[in-house]
Amino acid sequence: MSKSRAVAAAAGFALLAGLATACGGGAAKGSATAAFDPATCQGGTLTVLAQQGQGKFDPAELYTSGGGKVPTLVFRTLTTRDHTTGGPDGAKVVPDLATDTGEPSQDATVWTYHLKAGLKFEDGTPIRSADVKYGIERSFAPELPGGPPYLRDWLIGGEQYAGPFKGADLPSIETPDDSTVIFRLTKPEGDFPYLATATQFAPVPRAKDTGTDYQKHPISSGPYVVTSNDNGKSMVLERNPYWTRSIDDQRLACPDKIVYTSGLDSAVINQRLAASSGDDARAVSGDTDIDAGILARLNSDAELRSRVTTGYFGATQYLAFNPTVKPFDNPLVRQAISYAVDRQSVINAVGGSAVAKPATTFLPDQPAFGYTPYDYFPSGPSGDPAKAKELLAQAGYPNGLSITLSHATSQTDIGPAVAAAVQEALGKAGITVKLDPSADDDYGTRTQLPSSEPGFFISGWGADWPSGGPFLAPIFDGRQILTAGGNFNSAQLNDPQVNAEIDAANKLTDPAAAQRAWGQLDAELGKQAWTVPLYHPVYKRLVGKDVKNAYVSQWNGVYDLSRISVK
Amino acid sequence: MIRFLLRRAFSTLTVMLVLSVVVYLVFYAAPHDPARLVCGKGCDGVRLAVVRHKLGTDLPLWQQYWQFLHGLLAGRDFDAGTDVTHCSAPCFGYSFQTDQPVLGMITARLPLDASLAVGAAVVWLLLGIGAGVLAALRRGGIGERALTGVTLAGMAMPVFLVGLLLMMVCCGYLQWLPFPSYVPLTQDPLAWASNLALPWLSLALVMAAAYARMTRSALLETLAEDHIRTARAYGLGERRIVLGHALRGALTPVITLLAMDLGGLLGGAQLTESVFGFDGIGRLLVESVNTIDLPVVVGITLFAGFFIVIANAVADLLYALADPRVGLQ
Amino acid sequence: MPSSASNPVWRRLRADRAAMAGLAVVVLLLLLAAAAPLVTALEGQNPTAFHNELIDSATGGVPIGPFGGASARHWLGVEPGTGRDVLARLVYGAQVSLSVSLGATVVQVALGTLVGLAAGLGNRLADTVLSRTMDLTIAFPGLVFAISLMAVVPGSFPRPVLLMLVLGVLGWGGTARLVRGQALSLRSLDHVAAARLSGARSWRTARREILPGLAAPVITYAALLLPGNVTAEAGLSFLGVGVRPPTASWGQMLSGATTWYQADPTYVLLPAGLLFATVLAFTLLGEGLRTALDPRAKSRLRRTRSRRSRQVAST
Repeated sequence: MSKSRAVAAAAGFALLAGLATACGGGAAKGSATAAFDPATCQGGTLTVLAQQGQGKFDPAELYTSGGGKVPTLVFRTLTTRDHTTGGPDGAKVVPDLATDTGEPSQDATVWTYHLKAGLKFEDGTPIRSADVKYGIERSFAPELPGGPPYLRDWLIGGEQYAGPFKGADLPSIETPDDSTVIFRLTKPEGDFPYLATATQFAPVPRAKDTGTDYQKHPISSGPYVVTSNDNGKSMVLERNPYWTRSIDDQRLACPDKIVYTSGLDSAVINQRLAASSGDDARAVSGDTDIDAGILARLNSDAELRSRVTTGYFGATQYLAFNPTVKPFDNPLVRQAISYAVDRQSVINAVGGSAVAKPATTFLPDQPAFGYTPYDYFPSGPSGDPAKAKELLAQAGYPNGLSITLSHATSQTDIGPAVAAAVQEALGKAGITVKLDPSADDDYGTRTQLPSSEPGFFISGWGADWPSGGPFLAPIFDGRQILTAGGNFNSAQLNDPQVNAEIDAANKLTDPAAAQRAWGQLDAELGKQAWTVPLYHPVYKRLVGKDVKNAYVSQWNGVYDLSRISVK
Repeated sequence: MIRFLLRRAFSTLTVMLVLSVVVYLVFYAAPHDPARLVCGKGCDGVRLAVVRHKLGTDLPLWQQYWQFLHGLLAGRDFDAGTDVTHCSAPCFGYSFQTDQPVLGMITARLPLDASLAVGAAVVWLLLGIGAGVLAALRRGGIGERALTGVTLAGMAMPVFLVGLLLMMVCCGYLQWLPFPSYVPLTQDPLAWASNLALPWLSLALVMAAAYARMTRSALLETLAEDHIRTARAYGLGERRIVLGHALRGALTPVITLLAMDLGGLLGGAQLTESVFGFDGIGRLLVESVNTIDLPVVVGITLFAGFFIVIANAVADLLYALADPRVGLQ
Repeated sequence: MPSSASNPVWRRLRADRAAMAGLAVVVLLLLLAAAAPLVTALEGQNPTAFHNELIDSATGGVPIGPFGGASARHWLGVEPGTGRDVLARLVYGAQVSLSVSLGATVVQVALGTLVGLAAGLGNRLADTVLSRTMDLTIAFPGLVFAISLMAVVPGSFPRPVLLMLVLGVLGWGGTARLVRGQALSLRSLDHVAAARLSGARSWRTARREILPGLAAPVITYAALLLPGNVTAEAGLSFLGVGVRPPTASWGQMLSGATTWYQADPTYVLLPAGLLFATVLAFTLLGEGLRTALDPRAKSRLRRTRSRRSRQVAST
């Protein structure tokens, strides 16, 4: 089961990619939190067991949400997610390198940041605003691909800019003095502080930049330095002598050393953590949810239960329609399919109700996204084939119809098991579904290229940051139809009214007002049945028995490694 | 001898060449675009073209292949855009996905597969030869029939089945052993062995059957030969005859088989790795195939083919050395 | 043709109890596979219907009840995660397993015989070229290639047919070697040489004089290839590159085993047992056939086998 960055991106689950870890939020339920004291938590070695490697550990190429799990230990960014809590506040933006989360201009097109005093790189040289500017500029270089697309769209001149290696700089990032950075945007973006949590906003000293080799030893601005890095497959992080808690109120950096080990089988990770023998007692799961083998033991094993943390990460798995392909241009057909879908079967196919909950809205069911409940085509847990048949008859298919469902071959959440569950449910409503599998990479290419987009396919979208904007705009904004590929507006919807509402919501810098706007937009879009939301993933992960203060961030659902103690 | 080696070297090269051509053709024919996969979300035309150029997939097939061949024989330069890296011969290129040298990716995983292959070979040789000798000594007895049954059953068990069942019993129910996860020999020999015990046993159970049968029939054949009859006439005990004289002659085909099996295993044990969740060459291949990481797929194919061809040559050589009648053809 | 009662091969085979047991199992499996629709109709189930009510979603989809949820309606229980009927999936899986392995063996033997004959009876050049090709296919890392091929062929191509072709194309080298050797030795026999001298065309010679002599070793070799092909299909499906859902396959059922063996051992043991029985039965039958067809063949085959081509999916 491959979930490499590439495959994930291809899958349309772009953000899961960089985080390769995406997981829960929820309340802090870490084991033995009572015995935890930040003042004396230092020492020991924490092991992170993962299936996937970190990939290229270059801040320009990483695609993370809220700074990621391991990257946030090495790269400090202008702003970051709130590391200090496992509660809902974890979805808030807080200052990191900067003194605040950013000062917007009146219309949110100019954002100004000031760096804190006393910040240093791992070699003791001070961090200046020019280093932040240079770090962002690097991410425009085609030689360092893979990062999120927002900067190219938002910064003036970003569309044409090809990175600093050819000598040019990007004038829309200004550094009037060593501690000030000013960003000039093409349009109002109230969500800019959220974007500033990405690793692209980490400072990079130009003198130490080795281009594509920088990933081997990126210069740290955080509590740990990379002392060994086997292509992100296994990494060893050790204390950065120039970092102190006095210049960082977000990270505790308890362990002296953090060892990241990947290439492990998911079942092996779970069994090792459950057994907790030797070093595994001080280990956490990097990217693996508990499986049926562990779930079945939880009822009878209270000790094991106390080591499982539940969390949420804003993501929705859905069936996508391409209305340019018949019969999906017919709203009645899309509605009939919405009625016929059996969400329980789909959830069972991906691991059961412990790791997924049914979705009827496109927005994840967390307030930060602006969740507004609706269920326009109520199908109950297991589908309403009678209602679906009725709609099909209205649509002119009284004897049912035949359609094709495209899916990927190996990845679980967009793969054959989910496809078979949908096929079976639609069959009950008289819709014969032919399955059309393609290799993961090919699947991504096909579904993200409007000219080759299939009519009906399985897809997923996760939050780049916990706000409605990055959740709805890439999927429904008509100006984000990318004809050259990488398109996620699968309905190829270009509705002036929707576009206008997106623009209006983007202008809002007050989170509460923005949440209301996005929630309203989602509820309107839901009526059109452009997608069939299937489920929101739930993250359930194990820690070793000697791990303290382990909680998952409500922002991106990863264990907050910067706060864990193993002493 | 020299002629034999030269000829072998030549045919090895030919096989390698054909292998690489076939892999290129197969993947070129497939409708995939590795560049898009590397480039990620929101990758538009210009950036895509840059990535394609960097990977070299914008060139026609024969040029891509020529570059590959050139790199293999004489090394080549890679322009990453920000800097130029020289990759000296034999250069298998760089992975599309991780930008790492392919040869390094494979050799980094070789200790695992070598541990797997060599350790398992020791176990299956002990099991196989032991059982074969026993069967030859007790011809026609219950022992031999039991052995026949067990070896046939062993041959009938796919390795992933044996592995699964062993893991279910030993790690799941009895909890005698930890769930296997590879620990390098140099790091902790004890952990290395205890983690590899089950994979060794699984491979050995499947492989030992062939060795037992071969040992037995080779022994029986040798026992019927003249010098053994002479030894018998001198009144040597049957046990001494078998162990001291006959076994030596019978070991040739066994060693031949061993060379070939080891050659096959060193190129990756996909099923075993998959069952035990090891990150070896086999698993790297499956992943690379899924992500159309052509340089890695070509590299592993050549690597695996290389071991098999070499093993064949070694087997032939051993055969010829042990049995002058065969000769080096 | 002599009647079966007096056929010495059949007589020898019948005396071999292990081979007869193997034959019985093989026949049973073939019947089961052929009658899959009947069996499932009798049970009142089908291999694709989901039964959410029979599994416990909260614990990851484990079937409710002992022995994998076995009941009067689902005789061998239901599949974890979907609630599909296990018996139905097993018998439909038998169809895939048997048809792919038989088909692959036919492709291997047909290709091998053709190439081997051409090499054995053709001129020196043809022989050299073809022999080199045989060496080449034997040196191919079979599983490596099978995985690559299965992954790059478009998803619309029928998977079982593709499996047959891939296994067939990668595994004909051994047969070709055997046939070439046999053809060379048969060619030197008096009556064949006489036929060639009298001006008969080579194809005619092949058909009339050589093919009958090849039947026994080729059938034997085919019988020994078959269990390997059963294993290969299961192995590829296990790795996720074989047949695709919702088509049932034993290897595919086993691929979920690492997840389910603790929570639902029945689900793992059933396909495991069937796969084992199938391979064992084919092996026993093959061994029996070998001794029955040529009692003296044992020692001769030994050398060929010591240089056997590796099975496509063995490790």
